[in-house]
Amino acid sequence: MLIKLPTRCIDINSPYCPCLLSETNHCTFCSHLKGEATCDCNWSGVCILYEKQWQLKKDHWGSTSDIDTPVRLEAETKFSIKEQIAADTYVLTIEVNSELAQSLDKCGSFVFLRRPSDQQFYHFPVGVMKITGNLIHVVVETIGPKSTRLLADNNNQVLVRGPYYNGIFGQPWIDNIDNGKILLIVGGIGQAPAVAIVRQLVKKNNHIKVIAAPGKVGQIFIADELTDLDVQLQEVTSMRQRGMRYLSDCLANSQECPDLIISAGPDEQHYGVIAVMHAAGISLPMAATNNNTMCCGEGICGSCQKVTKDNKRVRTCKVQTDFSQFIQE
Amino acid sequence: MIKVVVVGGGWAGCAAALSAAKAGAQVVLLERTDLLLGTGLVGGIFRNNGRFTAAEEAIAMGGGDLFVAMDANTRHRGVNFPGHSHASFYDVTTMEPLVKKILQNYGIEIKTRARVSGLVKYGKKIQHLTFDNEEIITGDAFVDTTGTTGPMGNCLKYGNGCAMCILRCPTFGPRVSLTSKADVKEIMGKKADGSYGAMSGSCKINKDSLSSELKNQLEKEGMVVIPLPENLKKSGMLGKKACSQYAIADYAENIVLIDTGHAKLMTPFFPIDMLRTIPGLERARYEDPYSGGVGNSIRYLGIAPCDSALKVDSIDNLFCAGEKSGILVGHTEAVVTGLLSGHNAVRYCLDMKYLELPTELASGDFIQFIHKQMATEEGIKLRYTFSGSIYFEHMKTLGLYSAQRGEIIERISKTGLTDIYNTCLV
Repeated sequence: MLIKLPTRCIDINSPYCPCLLSETNHCTFCSHLKGEATCDCNWSGVCILYEKQWQLKKDHWGSTSDIDTPVRLEAETKFSIKEQIAADTYVLTIEVNSELAQSLDKCGSFVFLRRPSDQQFYHFPVGVMKITGNLIHVVVETIGPKSTRLLADNNNQVLVRGPYYNGIFGQPWIDNIDNGKILLIVGGIGQAPAVAIVRQLVKKNNHIKVIAAPGKVGQIFIADELTDLDVQLQEVTSMRQRGMRYLSDCLANSQECPDLIISAGPDEQHYGVIAVMHAAGISLPMAATNNNTMCCGEGICGSCQKVTKDNKRVRTCKVQTDFSQFIQE
Repeated sequence: MIKVVVVGGGWAGCAAALSAAKAGAQVVLLERTDLLLGTGLVGGIFRNNGRFTAAEEAIAMGGGDLFVAMDANTRHRGVNFPGHSHASFYDVTTMEPLVKKILQNYGIEIKTRARVSGLVKYGKKIQHLTFDNEEIITGDAFVDTTGTTGPMGNCLKYGNGCAMCILRCPTFGPRVSLTSKADVKEIMGKKADGSYGAMSGSCKINKDSLSSELKNQLEKEGMVVIPLPENLKKSGMLGKKACSQYAIADYAENIVLIDTGHAKLMTPFFPIDMLRTIPGLERARYEDPYSGGVGNSIRYLGIAPCDSALKVDSIDNLFCAGEKSGILVGHTEAVVTGLLSGHNAVRYCLDMKYLELPTELASGDFIQFIHKQMATEEGIKLRYTFSGSIYFEHMKTLGLYSAQRGEIIERISKTGLTDIYNTCLV
């Protein structure tokens, strides 16, 4: 298993690469597309500069496209409230076309949602919980002005834009592990991405143990789903008081010590897991959900930017890195 | 034991590994691809013009193993072709295993498919190198013979794109320069028009795709000159060539083919449909680069600033050779600089004074001449080789050119460097 995680754009070699950042020499990866004179990317995949050369011929995002040309897939459709979990928390299902649905069937993927009649800046990112057929399942907390707006006045119209992929830091660890032992720490709204993570991990014969706390949501709404997926679920009433102690016990026991830890929940929980590992004197690869505020999703606006310990600025909507490398705010 | 790590298994790296081993070091030679010799896998021409002098100097200094191997694996010797006298052509198809065997006999550990992707230095010393799989390798001294060409982005930006050449970047990953990873600012060569880089100067045609008459003539005489039809005499192509010794009018008006195992075509690229209008070449197809009808590799995009001992500026234990050490062309030049850098890497470990080749020798004068030229705006646009162009002229003016073995041995003896590379320093 890779111990060190390279800092790498999640969209490399996808249909969305090279992206708008390359137009202004702000690519996070290709040295030429950063404005340097020679190659210095250390990438053995398809050359991004080459890809740009070929895509220019299609006039992908060239001068003729106007501001209404979507940069990803877009679908104007209806959603329905499948379940209300708490006062402001809903499970929504959104029917989209199969192309968009299939492209989102991967853990860490997310979409932007807004009312079709609203201004662009109303759109907000939501992690995908699961895909069934052409249905996207998401969990929305209607607490901010954007998410509240989506459900206001019995609205059921939605504009979906996607796919976006950088919902989990340490994604390559999840993608590359098989027959492994995994400890998944889940808190509150982090239950939604946890479903996507578990669904992907079980396909590769991994043994997964979940420690879950209800958090502000007030219940473990994924319990049945996890039972169906045949994972070992340990429910705790409070992550801070009970969950972390339980985690500490797991790490101390060499029989139970996992190959990979995944933290799905708030940043405080991620840092809590790191602290427990420190105290136990072990260092395991840790994947963690990406909770940063995002506005554009394309690496342009900078709202999701974080600083790493070696003083690099990372636009987290696109760039993969090890969560433990971020400076704690 | 002293450990020298050589990065890059082209001719320069092979020579550096050889001289370091001869001087008594434990040597590891790292190569990114699965074959040694680098662009020497498609080279072949040696001993032409002043390269004869340089080769004999190296032999007299005790570093002749690789030249002896080339001589032993020669298809044609004593060939004269436009602008060049007494050339030998080694067989590019069988050279590599022979060199590998020689290096292994000296106890050199050769690691292929070992792509170095970074390094760790403390102060002005490299501590260890990291491979792309996160493994590390330590050493006392390092030699950067990573060349100056590829990855694909460079060939795209400064040339006609990846032409699928012998460097095989898409398969084995991009070349990584040690010098640049050590935060040393590299020098970039220029074309005559001032743009960066220069295109490699020859392509290989599959010999079986030539007409049988042409193939027979080529194998018998070693080379063939075919006048270009009037409509194909192109202009503007010469300035792009890396090999300035072939950038003379003869090569713009004629197709020159040389038998190096493949039919070596002395032009950077040539559109295949035009090539096939020439009698004897109706079925021609390229062997290297595969897209020789479109382009060729771009080189000289990362030369290490270094001194006459070939030590890289501002890093204490890093040496360089081949194209990395100056805008030079050819494997004779690579071997000559390689021998010196490997030898000096050992001297570094023993805290000895570095060996600098005196200017009474062609190889010593060559290194100093290039470094002086590279400091000038005009000089950075030229390429240097013992076999032609500006340096061969310079060499003749100074009386350094000689095709007499006895005379060259005598010269080496006068400088006191006889068998210097055969001396175990440890």
